[in-house]
Amino acid sequence: MIAALLERLRMGDRNALARLVSFVARGEHLAELNIALGHAVNREGEAPAEPEASANAIAGASGSAGASPSRSPCPARVVAFTGSGGVGKSSLIGKLIPIVRAQSKKIAILACDPQSPLSGGALLGDRFRMGSPLDDGIFIRSLAAVSGRGAIADHVDVMIRLCEAFGFDVIFVETVGSGQGDVAVRNLADVVVLLLQPESGDDVQWEKAGILECADLVVIHKADLPSADQTAAQVRMALDLSSACHVPVLRVSTKANQGHAELWEAIDALPLRRQQTSAARLLFQLAAEALEQRFREGDPEVLKVAEAWQRGELPTADAVQAVLRILTHV
Amino acid sequence: MNQPIRIVLAKVGLDGHDRGIKVVARALRDAGMHVIYAGLWQTPEAVVRVLADEDADWLGVSLLSGAHMTLVPRILDLMREAKLEHVGVMVGGIIPEADVPKLHAMGVARIFGPGTSLDDIVAFLKEPREPKP
Repeated sequence: MIAALLERLRMGDRNALARLVSFVARGEHLAELNIALGHAVNREGEAPAEPEASANAIAGASGSAGASPSRSPCPARVVAFTGSGGVGKSSLIGKLIPIVRAQSKKIAILACDPQSPLSGGALLGDRFRMGSPLDDGIFIRSLAAVSGRGAIADHVDVMIRLCEAFGFDVIFVETVGSGQGDVAVRNLADVVVLLLQPESGDDVQWEKAGILECADLVVIHKADLPSADQTAAQVRMALDLSSACHVPVLRVSTKANQGHAELWEAIDALPLRRQQTSAARLLFQLAAEALEQRFREGDPEVLKVAEAWQRGELPTADAVQAVLRILTHV
Repeated sequence: MNQPIRIVLAKVGLDGHDRGIKVVARALRDAGMHVIYAGLWQTPEAVVRVLADEDADWLGVSLLSGAHMTLVPRILDLMREAKLEHVGVMVGGIIPEADVPKLHAMGVARIFGPGTSLDDIVAFLKEPREPKP
């Protein structure tokens, strides 16, 4: 079934892409997809051509019948947008979409919103701020992110590779928007764009470790507000104190429709830093999730150890070892 | 498997009354569903595109404009064209009784009018369905 869906995806079937993303979001068929996509990306000339491109290739290949359209596998530019809730990530992306499309680049957007830790439900409300594009070169997918997992949905890296296999040139990942410490995006994006807004912290705020260190580009959004210049100056100073002095700080106002073209130019000029996800990392991640699942299920043996530790019958180091032994014993 | 239901909620056409659909969105979220809120003033084409990209299980459209006999058949036609017949469609809002059987005949699974309890909508969506093709 996965092979058939992948075949349809490579033929440009959006429904197949959407269905495969659903599997990945649920953590299903990950190993199978990881292997299949690994081959697709690595093999020369195997990059999936978009329908128009393959049509052109066939039309132009009349002299050499049977020659496969060899389009060098071109990795997509993956851009992560992060920043606190309400800073304007979705609206900013909505403004960047037409700019990217004007360069004839196909764009996929993976927009994460929080999933309730209580009900498991989620209101995924990013896409309605991005307009309602009917353009086949745009794919927007809303994803629910479990809290405490780095502000993005699980396995977004595999979803990125699915979008690449479909033929998207640019992939935007929008984080849930916690703003502090959500550094997981750095591993899967070429460029991390951090959005800040005026009046969102004093000069010590920017000295805190975490997300500012991870940003490749800082946007002072809502730059139409009066204190935008001051915030930009504070952030600039904080960045200049460290080796991150090359990080650009751009002022953008979606309300006043200013700065978006310059922002995309700056993003597009940055190098592609992303490394191919190693198979090992996926395996470790799956193992970590399995372990976490066992923790959540509340193994009775573990609870017994916890009770003994609480009563003071077991030294802490021994209790930790005992828990690890129980949880890793399959 | 107990996977969250993915439902797209949208207002179609020239109709700015979104209080009802927001209340429904909240109830479905609290019932553990993943609600993709597509917002106001959507075209049938845009809604069907959202269903495709989001791999939705359900579509809920709310219409208080009286244009349901134009817009709902259009959505259903476009869904067939996009090979999305497996997505269930429910309609909410002001739908005259005479139009209800007509919409059912076209393929709308359920119509919820004024006074519907949120529990009824949740219970309806949680009824077991055939798995997606």
